[in-house]
Amino acid sequence: MPTVTIDDEPCEAQIGETILEVARRAGIWIPTLCHHAALEPYAACRICVVEIDRGRAPTRSVGRWQIVTSCNYPIRRDLTVRVNSQRAIRARHGVMELLLARSPESPELGELAARMGVDTTPYPKVTEAQRNCILCGLCVQVCDEIIGASAISLVGRSVERAVAAPFRMASEDCIGCGACAQVCPVGTIVVRIHEDEVEISPFKSRVKLRRCAECGRPLASEPVKEALCRRGGPTVVEMLAGENLCSRCKREKLARELLTSRK
Amino acid sequence: MPRTTRIETAVDLQQYRRQLLAEQDPATRRVRVCLGTGCTAKGAPNVLERFHQAAKEFDQESFAVETKCTGCHGFCERGPIVVVDPGNIFYQNVKEEDVPEIWRESVVGGRVVERLLYKDEQTGKIAKTPEEIPFYNAQRRIVLALGGVIDPTRIEEYLAAGGYAALAKALGSMDPDEVIEEVTNSGLRGRGGGGFPTGRKWRSARDAPGEPKYVIANGDEGDPGAFMDRSLMEGVPHAVIEGMIIGAYAVGSSHGYIYVRNEYPLAVEHLTTAIEQAREMGLLGQNILGSGFSFDVRINRGGGAFVCGESTALMASLEGRVGEPRAKYIHTVESGLHGKPSLLNNVETWANVPPIILGGADWFASLGTEKSKGTKVFSLVGKVKNTGLVEVPMGMTLRQIIYDIGGGIPNGKAFKAVQTGGPSGGCIPAKYLDEPVDFDRLTQLGSMMGSGGMIVMDEDTCMVNVAKYFLGFLKEESCGKCTPCREGVAQMLHILDNITKGEGREGDVERLEQLGELLEDTALCALGKTAAYPVLSTVRHFREEYEAHIHERRCPAKECPGLFRYEIDVESCTGCGLCAKKCPVEAITGERKKPHTIDLEKCTNCGTCFDVCPFSAVVKV
Amino acid sequence: MPETKENTVAQIIRRYAGDPDMLIPMMQDLQAECDYLPKAELKELSGRLCVPLARIYSVATFYASFRLMPKGDHTIQLCMGTVCFLKGAGKIAQVIQREFELVPGGTSPDGKFTFSPVNCVGACALAPVMVLDGEYHGGLAVDSAVELLHKIAEETDKV
Repeated sequence: MPTVTIDDEPCEAQIGETILEVARRAGIWIPTLCHHAALEPYAACRICVVEIDRGRAPTRSVGRWQIVTSCNYPIRRDLTVRVNSQRAIRARHGVMELLLARSPESPELGELAARMGVDTTPYPKVTEAQRNCILCGLCVQVCDEIIGASAISLVGRSVERAVAAPFRMASEDCIGCGACAQVCPVGTIVVRIHEDEVEISPFKSRVKLRRCAECGRPLASEPVKEALCRRGGPTVVEMLAGENLCSRCKREKLARELLTSRK
Repeated sequence: MPRTTRIETAVDLQQYRRQLLAEQDPATRRVRVCLGTGCTAKGAPNVLERFHQAAKEFDQESFAVETKCTGCHGFCERGPIVVVDPGNIFYQNVKEEDVPEIWRESVVGGRVVERLLYKDEQTGKIAKTPEEIPFYNAQRRIVLALGGVIDPTRIEEYLAAGGYAALAKALGSMDPDEVIEEVTNSGLRGRGGGGFPTGRKWRSARDAPGEPKYVIANGDEGDPGAFMDRSLMEGVPHAVIEGMIIGAYAVGSSHGYIYVRNEYPLAVEHLTTAIEQAREMGLLGQNILGSGFSFDVRINRGGGAFVCGESTALMASLEGRVGEPRAKYIHTVESGLHGKPSLLNNVETWANVPPIILGGADWFASLGTEKSKGTKVFSLVGKVKNTGLVEVPMGMTLRQIIYDIGGGIPNGKAFKAVQTGGPSGGCIPAKYLDEPVDFDRLTQLGSMMGSGGMIVMDEDTCMVNVAKYFLGFLKEESCGKCTPCREGVAQMLHILDNITKGEGREGDVERLEQLGELLEDTALCALGKTAAYPVLSTVRHFREEYEAHIHERRCPAKECPGLFRYEIDVESCTGCGLCAKKCPVEAITGERKKPHTIDLEKCTNCGTCFDVCPFSAVVKV
Repeated sequence: MPETKENTVAQIIRRYAGDPDMLIPMMQDLQAECDYLPKAELKELSGRLCVPLARIYSVATFYASFRLMPKGDHTIQLCMGTVCFLKGAGKIAQVIQREFELVPGGTSPDGKFTFSPVNCVGACALAPVMVLDGEYHGGLAVDSAVELLHKIAEETDKV
C-alpha cells in the first residue's frame, strides 16, 4: 500500500486513488469547484492544484516539483505532496483571481475565495460569463453521466464557450430534474416553479410540473417520473403509480388509514 | 500502365522494382512540373496542361517525352518550378506563355532557356541545376529527397525510387525489438514539437498492456508559418505510410490513423490515393509481404481546431468528440485512443523511419549534434529573400540557414529576430544568430524547435505586436476548458492590447510575467502551458521595446498605430497630391508641385498616405 | 415540418458503418452535401446514430470548419498566419470587412461572400494569401484584394 506524504504528514492510500481523496480522508482541505465525488474528474477549474515531487532525475541533484491537479492525479506509488507550499498557494490564488475577474458577482465563489485567503482580484473583467458561470462542466456531466438526459453541453470554444442546450434553444431532452442546479458550485443554474411548469434557467427548459393532489405542493416533474419508471423497474412504477401525493400528505394519508383500520 | 497483381513477398517487391526501372527508357525526356500548393497557387496547373498538350502534339518517334507533376520542391518563392531531364535543368517563375519556348529549346532542342534559370542576386551567377543554387546546395535532403522528383499519385514511382524497401527489410530480417532498437539508436526525436526520443516512445507502446494498439500520424499541422508536414503528405505520402507500417509492426498494432488538418485538401487527396494503391498492392492489409503481419490505416480530417495537434485532443477528435485535452498523468502510449495503448508520431517523424531502417542507426546518428540527430525540415518564411522549405542537418547555425540558404533579409533591412516553434515558441534576437539549431539549444534560448517554423522578422517588426498576434491566435484557439488558459490568455492579451495602444501602465510587464508563470504551472495541456512563451521570450530579449511603449508611448519599430507619426519629407515630396486625394480625413494639404504637409490634429494614423506615395516621401517618425 | 433529406443522412451513416466514432467525418460529409449543417439533418443524425443532439451541437460549435448557417456565393478564406500577418493580412482583413460588410464567419448582406479568416493555409511563400472558392491568390495588397473581390462580385451579377 503506497504512502502519500502530504505536507509532511504520512497518509495511507490505495493504488488508483487520487491525491484529493487521500487528503480529504486525512482532513486536509484543498479547495475544489469542478469536482464532484459522483462524477469522473474533469480537472477544468484548476483550483485544486498542489505540488508533487517528481523525484530526482539522474542529471539533477535536487528533486523536481511539479504542479498537478489533486482531483485526478492517480496514486501509483509512494508520493510526496505539498498542499500549502508557497508555490502551490500562489498557483491556486492565481487561478482564483482569474475566476473572480470572470464571475465577480457570485457569492458562492466569493466565499470560497475568502476561505482561501483571496480578498480581491487584480484583473479587470475581460470575459463574459453567463450569470457567473465558470464553465466547470459539472451540470453537463451530471446531466449526461448520471441523469442520462444529455440535454445540455459545452458549446463553442475559447472565451466564447458557454453551457447551453442544442441551438441555444429550450431543450427537448431536459426532464426538469434540477440535478444541474444541485451541482452548480456558483449558483448559475436556478430551478423556478411556475403554475404548472418547472423551468430550468438559464437553459430555457420548461417541463410539465406535477403537484400534490392534496395540498398542491410541487412534485417531481412529469418527465422525471417517466424517467424513474423507465429506469427503476416494476417496484418503482408501483411506488409512483398511485396518487400524486407529496411525502407529507402520503404520510398523513397512511396515518389516517392506520387509525381507521384500528377502529 | 495496368496495375500489377499483389506484391506477395519481399522478392516480388524487388523484382517489380527492377521491372519498373527496366521499363524506364534512358532516352526518354522528362518534364516535371511542381504541383505543390505554392506553385499551384501561382498557376502551375495551367503550365502542366500546356506541357501535356505539347507532348500530345509532339511526334514521339525519335524519343519519348514524359510530362508529369511532382510534389513540392521547397523553393516556393520561385514557383512555378519546372525541371527538365536529362540535365536536371531547373526553370523557375515559369508562366504559361513560357511553355512553347521551353518545349522547343530545352525539351526538344536540348538547349537551355537561360532567362528562366535562377540567377544569384549578388554574384549574378546563373544556376542550371538545383545543386548550383545556394538555396539547395547547403541543404541535406533526406525526407524531402523525393519531394520534387516523383509523382505522388503513382506508387510505381515511389517503388522505383526504392520505396517500401525499408518495410521489406524490417518485416523480412528484423524482429519488432530490433526495429525499436534501430530507431532508439538512431537518436531520432519527435519532429512535432516536444522532441521526445522516438525509440523510447515506441518501446513504451510495445510494452504497454492492452489490445488493440493504435498507431497514429499527427498531420494536424497547426503552427502558423509551418508547412513541412503538408509538403510531405502532398509530395511523398507513401513515405509517411511506410513509416507507419514499420512502426505498427514494431509495437504490435494493426490499426492506424492519419489525422490531417482540414485546411489541407490536397494532402487528403494524395494520402487517400496512396493508401488505396498500397492496399491494392498488398502493402497494406492482411499478411503484408508474406510476413503474417497485418495492418491498415484510415484518414481522418480535422475539423479546424489548433488544439487538436495536442495528442489527447487529437484522440478525442478521432473518437468523434470535441477536441478537449485531458490530463496526461497516464500517458497516451499506455492509455490513448479508446483507452488503449496508442503511438502517436508527427508526420515528419514517420517519414524519417524508412531512411533510418534502410541506412541504419549509425548513419542517421552521424548527422546532427550530440543530442539532436538527423536532419530537420524548416519552413523558412517571413522577411527573408528565399522563402520555402529547407532540410538541413541539426546543428546548422541560424545564420547559415537565414543568410546562406535564405539569402538574408530583403529590401536592405536589418535582421531583428527569428521566431521558431510556432505559438508555443519564442523570438530569438540577432546576438544568437551563430547558435546551432537543435532541440536543446533552442529551448535554452527561450524558444523551441516545435514543428520547424522559422519566421524571420526585420527591423520594421514590433516585438510587442508579434507577442500580441500570438496571444490573439491562442485566445481564439484555446479550447476553453481550463481556467488559466481561457481566462489567463484573455487577460494577457488585454494587457498587450493596452500596451500597443499606448495605454500601458507601470507593472504591466511584471504582470505578464506572473501570468506566464501561472499558465505554465496550472494550465491543463501543452497549448496552455506554453501559451505565454511568445510573450516571455520577447520580454526576455526585447524588454526595452515593451518599456518604450509603456513609458515613452513610443513604438520603436513604428508599427503600433498612434505610437509614431507620419510626416512628409520636404526633400522627396514632389507635390503630386496623391496622398491628399487618398487621405480619408482630409488631413493633408499643399499646393500642386510643392511639398505637402500633414495636419497632425486631423491625422488618424491610418497609413494610407504612406502606402500610396510613389516617391516614399511619407515617413514614419 | 420541413422536409428532411432522409436519404442523405442514412447514406452517410451507412458509409461509415454506423460507427459513432466517425461522427466528425459524417458531419463533414453532411456539410459537403448540404453546404452547411441544417438543424433537421443534425436531429436525424442524432436519432439514427443514438448520439445525443447536445453532443453533436457541441462538436458543431467547437470546430471552426462547421457552419450552422448557409454560406454565401463565394467563400473567402483569408490566411491570418504569422507570415501573412507580418506582411499585412490584418489590414486586408480590416478593409474587406468594411468594404463588403463582413464579419469573421459571417456572410455579406447581399449573400455574395462568406468570410472566414483561417490560421494558416501553409502557403507562406505567397503571403499574404487569400483562398477564394478554393483557389489561391498570393502576394496580395489591400488594393488588389479589394479589386479581386469586386471583380468576382461583378461576375456573379452578370450570371
